[in-house]
This record gives sequence, structure tokens and C-alpha cells, in this order.
Amino acid sequence: MPGKKSTDIKKSVQEPSQNKIKKLEETIQQLTTELDEKNDKYLRSLADYQNYQKRMEKELICREEELKKRYLLELLDFQELLKKAAEDTNPKEGLRHLISNFEKFFEKECVTYIDCKGKPFDHTCHHAVSLVETDDCHDDTIIDEVKKGYMIGDKLLRPSQVVVGKKKTNTP
Amino acid sequence: MSKIIGIDLGTTNSEAAYIEAGKPVVIKSAEGQPYFPSVVGFTKTGEMLVGEAAKRQAVTNAEGTVQRIKRKMGTSEKIKIRGKTYTPQQISAFILQKIKKDAEDFLGENVTDAVITVPAYFNDDQRQATKDAGAIAGFNVKRIINEPTAAALAYGLDKEGDHKIAVYDFGGGTLDVTLMEVGGGVFEVLATNGDTQLGGSDMDQALVDYIAKEFQKKHNTILPKDPKTLQRTLEAAEIAKMELSSTLQTDINLPYITVVDGEPKHLELQLTRAKFEEIIGPIVQRSRPPCHQALKDAKLKASDIDHVVLVGGTTRIPLVQKTVEEIFGKKPKREVDPMECVSIGAAIQAGVMSGDIDKDIVLLDVTPLTLSVETLGGVATSLIDRNTTVPTKKSKVFSTAADNQTSVEINILQGERPMAMDNKSLGRFHLDGILPAPRGLPQIEVAFDIDVNGILNVSAKDLGTGKEQSIRISGSTKLSDSEIERMRKEAKEHEEEDKKRKEKVEIRNNADSLVASTEKTLQELKDKFSSEDKQSLENALKELREALTGDDTDRIKEKTDALTQAFQKASASIYQQAAQQYQQQQPGQGAASGDSWQGHPSDDDSTINADYKVKGEKKKKDDKDT
Repeated sequence: MPGKKSTDIKKSVQEPSQNKIKKLEETIQQLTTELDEKNDKYLRSLADYQNYQKRMEKELICREEELKKRYLLELLDFQELLKKAAEDTNPKEGLRHLISNFEKFFEKECVTYIDCKGKPFDHTCHHAVSLVETDDCHDDTIIDEVKKGYMIGDKLLRPSQVVVGKKKTNTP
Repeated sequence: MSKIIGIDLGTTNSEAAYIEAGKPVVIKSAEGQPYFPSVVGFTKTGEMLVGEAAKRQAVTNAEGTVQRIKRKMGTSEKIKIRGKTYTPQQISAFILQKIKKDAEDFLGENVTDAVITVPAYFNDDQRQATKDAGAIAGFNVKRIINEPTAAALAYGLDKEGDHKIAVYDFGGGTLDVTLMEVGGGVFEVLATNGDTQLGGSDMDQALVDYIAKEFQKKHNTILPKDPKTLQRTLEAAEIAKMELSSTLQTDINLPYITVVDGEPKHLELQLTRAKFEEIIGPIVQRSRPPCHQALKDAKLKASDIDHVVLVGGTTRIPLVQKTVEEIFGKKPKREVDPMECVSIGAAIQAGVMSGDIDKDIVLLDVTPLTLSVETLGGVATSLIDRNTTVPTKKSKVFSTAADNQTSVEINILQGERPMAMDNKSLGRFHLDGILPAPRGLPQIEVAFDIDVNGILNVSAKDLGTGKEQSIRISGSTKLSDSEIERMRKEAKEHEEEDKKRKEKVEIRNNADSLVASTEKTLQELKDKFSSEDKQSLENALKELREALTGDDTDRIKEKTDALTQAFQKASASIYQQAAQQYQQQQPGQGAASGDSWQGHPSDDDSTINADYKVKGEKKKKDDKDT
């Protein structure tokens, strides 16, 4: 019975392929679920990151305010004392103490003055505002300080604004 | 793919930016500034300096310093310095190299690709020279774009339909006016004009002259022209100029500015915005003709212009903005920092090319309003704050408000008001089957989970029994703009009264929990209290209970304080007693009763207990249900 035989063959071909389809469908289902889960995880971490960014921004502002408060309070104390000095008929002694307090405050914050007069010009901590030709100095020596410069630790807080001397004979 | 940065290669200063998580970020130089001075210096010792360091030494080393090289780009001019010859491209390349290095340090990765901006009037030679400079610096220059185009990109003006834009770029030393037509994301320059000798520094100088004149009038002596005085006056003028952009009046105060006949002189001057505008008026007026000429060249009327964009620090001055509005008959756009908008625009162009800004990029929703649950006394306790990016999940542990409470109601609220009844209720459900226990003991975890589609899943779980209930609410992030606006406005309007109402409830809640804990302690430690202390505690407790039956918040607060004090006094005598007993038991050891426990590590049970109590107090008591 060739008819039966061919149906058998068909069946035997169909069965494994249907099995295969079923397996593949299962795999697809499994992968789809996995993809959905991964996608959800990805979106959640992205949202977490964005929320973290927002939180950090807020935190930064908060910290800035805290820092400001600290300094403003110190400054307010100094202001109070300065007012007292202004009312003092002989304020010299009081001012001397006040300046010493100021110095201690900056010392605590590691702020140091950049001693520059008479020193060779250094672009890492000096800012030249003018050049003056003169006989009595070496080339590129600082002959005047326009505004004092400061370091904070080993970092530059503000460069010294300086007048740099140039020896007259050296002029081309 | 590595980042592509956008660079605004300027005449005086250059800026750079890139796109991070879809947002532009301005790159800071190694010196910590958001710009790079376009200055290159060659010292006598053969060292090359670029940026801030080169600027600082420019005065002492005029022959070895190159400034404003942008003006020579595209020319065949050579720059001879210390025996060496450089092309303008090479000098510009040194600036770009510095930007590249600092950008790499800032980003922590290699940067090879860049988009660089040039003025709209640059010809092909000048553009090619800029591209070459980029290549010499080691950049793969992805594109050269016009500065006004970049500014327009920073404002997203490429996304709107066909329209015409005027870009008014008023910097420290130059004025550039560009008229452009945008359509389908393509920018076409219609006309450019400007003044290479006009800028904010002219205003500073005019202000310095005015200050000197006023000083002379008042003190009858000339303000000396030594570098120290000049520098101080210039700095004060710059500060006054900036301040007058936001205030109507400022004080210029320079104590000890000079000494005349051994007497110190102080410079003190009040400057109003009106006076300031009078001083800088003629300079601002000089920016009118270039604008009119550009309109004429483009064959346009002012009314043809759809958008006006401001670039450059000088455009922060209100008079400049007013003048621009008068010229073009339109309020200029000024939301993006005018100093940064060209580099930001270049970064946006770069971001589009690198895929950091992509049409397919995932845009996540945010919660338009705060989501909270109702807690004891009708307070809205927030779980997910307004403006939180979703999907997100937040949870908090709550407890019961009364002894033997077996059910809690979870009322889910949306809105900014602190009291539950003023917010919108999105839904509510009950969690039953809580085991009978003293108030504050059961632990109920409430979790809010919003998925990417804005569907809010609220669940409540009794951590003791594991019993759980939940509800799904869709569309929690989808509110109409007007609705959000209305709710926010209402919250703002009622801020004060809401605060008071919440305070009132909090005082009541505090009193309530104090009553409960006092009752508990009295029960537990009844033998330890002296009869006198016990009596005063009971009296204070009775009075507070009575106060709680009424609605007088001040009275509740007063009685709460009284009970707290009575409690403290009673506790103190118990500890004193204990200390005396201890001393008697351990003669000679001298464990002074004044010794503090602070800072001493302790791992005995009492510490854990105390900790638990604190935690318990912090917990918001849930619901009025009993």
C-alpha cells in the first residue's frame, strides 16, 4: 500500500519538524521573556542613572550652600568686630588683633601669600599687567606688585598681578 | 564610539563642549575655567605656553606671544617667533592641541574627533585653514560649521519649520550679525555684517573714564594712572557692569585708591543702571548700522525675521537686549548661556554625528507630580517625588496607628500638597489580616513601582505575616500640561497655610505617640518610678490626653512639652538611683555618675533597644482604621 507508506513518511517527517517548531517556539518565548526582562532592567538602570544625576545636582547645590554658610558666618564675625573697631577712638590695637584673626583663618584654610617682589617672573603664579623699562633690574624681574596673589595648598587661588622690569640696554 | 567634541575656536577665547547622556556639558580647562584663552607664547627658554599661562606672560613677552591668530587664518602670512616661522594654522593648532589634551583629561578618554566652528563670513581658504589646524592638532575634523548655525542649533531652531533667524553676536572685542534661513534642517546664510572694533571692552573703558572723571570732580585731584590704580578701577568697572545686568543700582567702592598729601583717598561712587546706559549708549548704538546693513543685503525687513538669537557676554546687558529688540521688533532668545551657546551648538552637531543625540534614543518619562500615600492625620507622605525619571521603584515601611489594628487602608495620592485631602486620589485598597499587636510594632512595606508605560503598581506587604495586597493604576504619568500646571500652582498658592496645617497634624501625631509610649513605660517600669514622679507623669499624661480631645494646637504642644519634661525628670532619677546602687556595689571604683556614655562602644541589649525605639518613632503611623 504505497498510499499508507507515503502518509507514514509524511508523518515521520512532520513529527520531528513539528517538534522542532514547538521547541523553537518555546525558545522564542523564552528569549522574548528574557529580552523583555533585560529591556526592563536596562530602562530601569537608565532611569536610575538619570535620577542619580538629578540627586547629585541637588546635592551639589546643598553642599555649595553649606560651604557658603561656613564662610559667611566667619565673615560676619569679622564684620561685627570691624564695626567695633570703627567706633573705637584708638582702633590700632583692635585692628591688629583682627588682622591676626584673619591671618589665622586663612592659615587654617592653607591660603598662602605668593611673595613675588624682586623675584623672576613665573607664568604659573604671576600675571604681568605691564612692562617697565628700567636700568636697575634684571630682565623679567618683578619690580612691583599690583594685586597680591595667593595659593591654596599647592593650587593657585589667584595669580599675583605684577609689573615686570626690563633692562633698558637690552632693548633691541 | 569615542566622543566627538564641539569647539568654538574664538579670537580671544575658545570653548569646547560635548554631549553626555543627551545633555551638553562644557569642558573645563586644566586651570579650571570654562574657556581657553586663544593665546600662544614662546618663552626665551624655548618653552611653549598655551591658554591662561600664555595670557599671563603676554605683556612681558610681546615678541614671543601670538594673540588673535583667528584674524590671520586663511592668509599666507607667516608668524616669525624666536627664529622660527609658523603658519596661522600651526598657531591655531597649538590652541586646539591644548583643548584636546584638557578635554581628554576632563573626559578621561581619548578624543580624536571634533566639530569646529568658524564665522559665517569665513571664505573657503579660511575654512580649509581651520580644518588644517584641526588636523595638525591631531583631530579628525568631522565638520566645520558656522558659529551662528551652532548658536541656532543650541536653541533647537533646526527642528522648527522654514524660518529666518538673526544671530547677534556681541563679544568682548567684535560684533557679528548673521541672517540665516532654515528649512529642513539646512541653514543658509543670507547676509553677514559686523564691526571688528566694537565690543564689551569698549564699555569697560568708557566706565573707567567715567569713574576717573567723577573721582576728579569729588576730590579735586586726578585719579593716578599707575598700573595698580588702573587695574583696580578696571576690575571694579567690570563688576559694576555685570551687577547692573541684574540690579538697578550698584556701589563702586575702592578704599585707599590713592594718597594725596599724605592723606588716603577712597573712591566711592553710586552708579544707577540709567547712568550706566547713558555711558554705554553710544557704543550700543554703533551696533545698529551693521544690523540694518545685513537686513538690506539680505533684502529683508526686520519683520521677516522669526527668531533672534543672542551670543557673547555683552548681550547679557539689558540695554543691548532692548536695542536688539528694537532693531528686529522681536524679543531675543536668551535661555542658553550666550558665552557657551556656540560651543554647545557645535557639541550638539557632534552629538548627532556620534549618535549621542539620536532620533531613536530612549526618551524616558518623568513623574509630573509627586506620588504619596495618606498617613496618620491625613498627611500625604511622598514615595516618588515629582520629576523622577521612570521606570522606578520606591518603598517605605509604615506601621499601625493604634493598638491591635488589624487592617490598614492604602490611599494613593498624586499632587504637591502636604495634606492628603488636597491631592488627587488615584485609588485605594485595604490590607487586612494584620496580627493584633501594639501600635508601631507591625511592619508594613508599601512599594510604588512605575513601569516604562507609566503604569503604577502599588503593593502593601505585612512583613510579619507575608500577606500582600496590590493595585494597578494606569496613566499616572499622563496628565495634561494644564492639569499639572494647575496642581503646581495650587500647591504654590497654598504653601503657607498647608505648612501650618501639616504642622498642626504633626504636633497632634507627636502628642499621640508620646501618650502611647508614656503609657507603655509607666506600665513596664511602674516599680522603678518614685511615687512622686509617677504622680506627676500621670497628671501630665492626663492633661495631654484631655488636650488631645480638643483642637487647640498650642495647648497640645504645651502639654506635650510638659509631659516630655516630666518624663525626662523621672528617667533621670531612675538613672541616678541606678548609679548610686552601682557605686555602693563597687566601692573604690569611683564610677562617677556624671560619666558620659557618649562615644563609648556598647553592644549590650539596651543599645539595640534604644536604636529600635528611635527607628519606631521615625516611622509614620498609618491610617485611622482600627
